[in-house]
Amino acid sequence: MSVLALVGTRKGLFLLESDEERQDWSLEGPVLTGWSVFHAVVDPRDGTIHAASNNEVYGATTHRSADRGQTWTRAEELGLPEDTGLTLEKTWHIEPGRDGEDGRLWLGGAPGVLFRTDDGGEAWQPVDGIVRHETRDRWFPGAGGMCCHSIALDPEEPKRMYVGISAAGVFRTEDGGETWTPANRGTAADFLPDPFPELGQCVHKLLVHPARPERLWQQNHCGVYRSDDRGEHWERLEGNGLPSGFGFPLALDHRHPDAAFVIPEEGAENRVTCDGRLGVYRTDDGGASWSLLAGGLPQPAWGAVMREGFSSDRLDPAGIYLGTQSGSLFVSPDAGETWIEAASQLPPILSVEAAEWR
Amino acid sequence: MAVVLLPSMLAAEAGGASRFEPDAETVGEALRALPVANLVFDERGALRPLVNVYVDGIDVREREGLDTRLEGSETIRLVAAIAGG
Repeated sequence: MSVLALVGTRKGLFLLESDEERQDWSLEGPVLTGWSVFHAVVDPRDGTIHAASNNEVYGATTHRSADRGQTWTRAEELGLPEDTGLTLEKTWHIEPGRDGEDGRLWLGGAPGVLFRTDDGGEAWQPVDGIVRHETRDRWFPGAGGMCCHSIALDPEEPKRMYVGISAAGVFRTEDGGETWTPANRGTAADFLPDPFPELGQCVHKLLVHPARPERLWQQNHCGVYRSDDRGEHWERLEGNGLPSGFGFPLALDHRHPDAAFVIPEEGAENRVTCDGRLGVYRTDDGGASWSLLAGGLPQPAWGAVMREGFSSDRLDPAGIYLGTQSGSLFVSPDAGETWIEAASQLPPILSVEAAEWR
Repeated sequence: MAVVLLPSMLAAEAGGASRFEPDAETVGEALRALPVANLVFDERGALRPLVNVYVDGIDVREREGLDTRLEGSETIRLVAAIAGG
């Protein structure tokens, strides 16, 4: 078994491979040259690599490769119905379906849209429950556009899933995507007249914990949050070791529901890593306290890690991966304690995902 | 038959082929017959704004646009506008 890290950049996709020790990495690529890869992921059901790929001239699409990135096939059908008045601006995130849902994947994009495929990514169908959501006229774009960047599936309840849209907030479905309910109670929107509205929050990243599916974590424009009731209520988790509540990336430890990782930034008006250092902050107690993990990470550093540029693997101990806008991939093989620069001088990194590769 | 020439990125998306000879009466028909039509046009069927189309060296915007008729000997060249970073 090897570990494969998919590193999506503004200039194509890179593949890095290591063994289970995750100390030494070999670099391949770039593939998908010319495409900005906002997200790429290995479908664990069949090993296909899927990429959300964008180009200023040729638009937004998805690609997939069944031969580890050697050859790629582009989606044939991907667009929004004319009567919505919407056109696809960007593809942001691809989430493979569950075991037993062969061929099903979900795709988030801008402007605040969600698609589903049941044929492995050849044809993507818009999900009307999001595309035509009754509150859409109250959604607005963040600095990165009105992006649906987070798609989180409940691993135990096949009809339940969540999306995060900037800036519309978190939405939950209990019926497989037909209808969606805002799930933002307790999350702040300090930039709106009502600081705790039903929706309009700028969620930056949303994850569900695979071992405790009722637990959600959220990095928001206005704080870091945890919910223990499927998004019904959110608890703000800062002022206890975090230098700032502002940030984009979020990662989890798949075996430990009380653990989470964030990379805070100074604030909305100064989007660089805090205190002139590239620092990851970890909690092991559900967000009650946070501690800095910076062993092997550069200082001084005024970096930026995009919302998809941070992820974890499923090994024990968990590997944590972060890619910077300055083109470095850092890997921690021990849940954040120590870090290795696995690659440098890549194009600006937009996304990182790690997968076990057999 | 008119010839359509693709830039390298579109050629890569077309399986490596940069030259096509579609059976078409207009520029629009020729482009819609390409295997990369969904990169050249958006989901409304509109030519993407940063894709430039030249017929025998003349921008189709200076002729009849996508309705420009083909006699069969033309060379249609797709060029990505100078954009991006």
